[in-house]
Amino acid sequence: MKTALLKVNNLKVNLYTEHAAVRPVDGVSYSVAQSETVAIVGESGCGKTVMNFAPLGLMPTGVSIDVKGSIRFDGQELVGMSEHGLRLIRGKLISTIFQDPMSALNPSRLIGRQIAEVSELHLGHTTKQAEAWALDLVKLVGISDPEYRMKQYPHELSGGLCQRVMIAIAIAAEPKLLIADEPSTALDVTVQAQILKLLKDIQMRLNMAMVIITHDIGVVAGNADHVAVMYAGRIAEYGPVEEVLVNPKHPYTKGLISAIPRSEDPIGSPFRGLSGMPPYLEGPIRGCGFSPRCTAAIDRCSTSRPSFTQITNTNVLAACHIVNQSESQGAMN
Amino acid sequence: MTNNAVLKVENLVTHFKSVERGKVVRAVDDVSIELMPGEIVGLIGESGCGKSTLGRSIVGLEKPNSGKILLDGVDLSSLKGKSLRTSRRSIQYVFQDPYSSLNDRQTIGESIGEALLIIGIRDKKQRSKRIHELLDRVGLPKHLSDRYGRELSGGQRQRVAVARSLAVNPRVLICDEPVSALDLSVRAQVMNLFFDLQKDLGVACLFIAHDLALVRQAATRTYVMYLGSIVEAGSSQDINQNPGHPYAQALLSAIPNPDPRIERNRKAIPIIGDIPSPTDPPSGCRFRTRCPIVVDQCAETTPESITVSDGHYVACRFAERNG
Repeated sequence: MKTALLKVNNLKVNLYTEHAAVRPVDGVSYSVAQSETVAIVGESGCGKTVMNFAPLGLMPTGVSIDVKGSIRFDGQELVGMSEHGLRLIRGKLISTIFQDPMSALNPSRLIGRQIAEVSELHLGHTTKQAEAWALDLVKLVGISDPEYRMKQYPHELSGGLCQRVMIAIAIAAEPKLLIADEPSTALDVTVQAQILKLLKDIQMRLNMAMVIITHDIGVVAGNADHVAVMYAGRIAEYGPVEEVLVNPKHPYTKGLISAIPRSEDPIGSPFRGLSGMPPYLEGPIRGCGFSPRCTAAIDRCSTSRPSFTQITNTNVLAACHIVNQSESQGAMN
Repeated sequence: MTNNAVLKVENLVTHFKSVERGKVVRAVDDVSIELMPGEIVGLIGESGCGKSTLGRSIVGLEKPNSGKILLDGVDLSSLKGKSLRTSRRSIQYVFQDPYSSLNDRQTIGESIGEALLIIGIRDKKQRSKRIHELLDRVGLPKHLSDRYGRELSGGQRQRVAVARSLAVNPRVLICDEPVSALDLSVRAQVMNLFFDLQKDLGVACLFIAHDLALVRQAATRTYVMYLGSIVEAGSSQDINQNPGHPYAQALLSAIPNPDPRIERNRKAIPIIGDIPSPTDPPSGCRFRTRCPIVVDQCAETTPESITVSDGHYVACRFAERNG
């Protein structure tokens, strides 16, 4: 087993805005090994983005955050680290790609400058070195006509090209971990395929670990080694992609996977989905967050929080009373 | 069969002035489509291909340069004043983003009630009865009529938007990416609502989407659009099992499969680069700059639409008739 590059243990994040307090991350544990890809899937509002960005100090203004638990990254503890310490890590050891490349880039600065500034800051390059390095990166991410593109502004580029520029910025300091938040969601399906392939190639080249935050199971299937399925601020199920997606254990994972339209589905047949809606994360959830929508729920599901346990003969962990119960019955027989 | 179409679009052209002086954005360039009563038809293509402009032109949100829009055989451009307004009512639009399509200062009841006022239901009691009926129709509880849009979830808001468009008893709904802003688990609920409307009310839907998997299951027929023109049209089954146009083939091969065992061996047909600018579309076949099987002649002439099987048309010189 490879040693973990990132190890998150019992992470809790509280967010306080002017009007409300919410807990979008409620006791989450997972780890990412070097050169491995972990996908984090879940619906909007399940806490998947906050979980990854709040510990790095990346939150919207007007929100105060309270992070508890532990995040060990490459031997350092990130929770409670000073802003100065985080600055040395952000963009250098851990870098990020955001969902909407158009709004993540600075509209008033040239593409080349935005890439060069990263290596000036983190690698101590001179302007000239940084410009040359930026040109190499633009070539590396497969942008045609690189010299010309370097002198363009983001609004002159398509969404796919902007995302390639974002990737160039993210890898400029050759990070150990890349966190990609919905890297292909805003893009068309044909461009999505190009971007995901590019990320994979770069990962191989840099021997980099990757966390892909997504809601698209198809993206998980083709790109990740492990997957964490999140619901209501907690991980419902975690394990190798080929186990979790093929043989899901948690009722939420099962529902999510069966909701994907498949080519075998006859035309005009009803879509499968989950009834109800995801919960608001305002109050602490006593039992299992999924129990109001779960068809298999028993009394205990709404009163006590299920423990996150490994399922026998698998590498999968799930937080579900029903799964755990059948497990212990199986053990007794 | 053609004569019964509830909506027929013939050779529609919608161009915009470009910010670059003297240039024209050819958003929709000679497009013809038709919808049968109660039929769900898909319109797919990448962003920037003109699919939304086509939808907006049909409902009159954009002014087409030329071409005809026929509702029950009546050309809308021949109508004026009251008769035009009455006809237009029969075609309603459901927008992509339910967060911006509802007025946050109106209650749900007011929002739907406004549409009812327009068709002349002035009696308050009658109106509120109809609002409740419509909410019930889209699967929402009656008491939501006193709530504000901001208090509802995305799925609920999209249902309200559908209820509002149904208020005027339309025959055609133009749904522009109606579920792409919604989560997977809620998406199915809204999609099934469209099936119910089609079955119970006989409303025809033009379903504009970039999610091929969704259209594949929802629509009986599909149009594939690329850079302002239709490159392939046919039954969804034919297009999915036997796509004829290299663009449609590539688009379908790019859908990721949720099963990792299949996904890891999936062979996608590569398409290079991005969609070209519609201000300066390539000569001849518009897809030729990204096409994996392009030949020199593709730059010279625009390919004719070839019938590959009954009701399945492909605009590619390499398309062949099956059987």
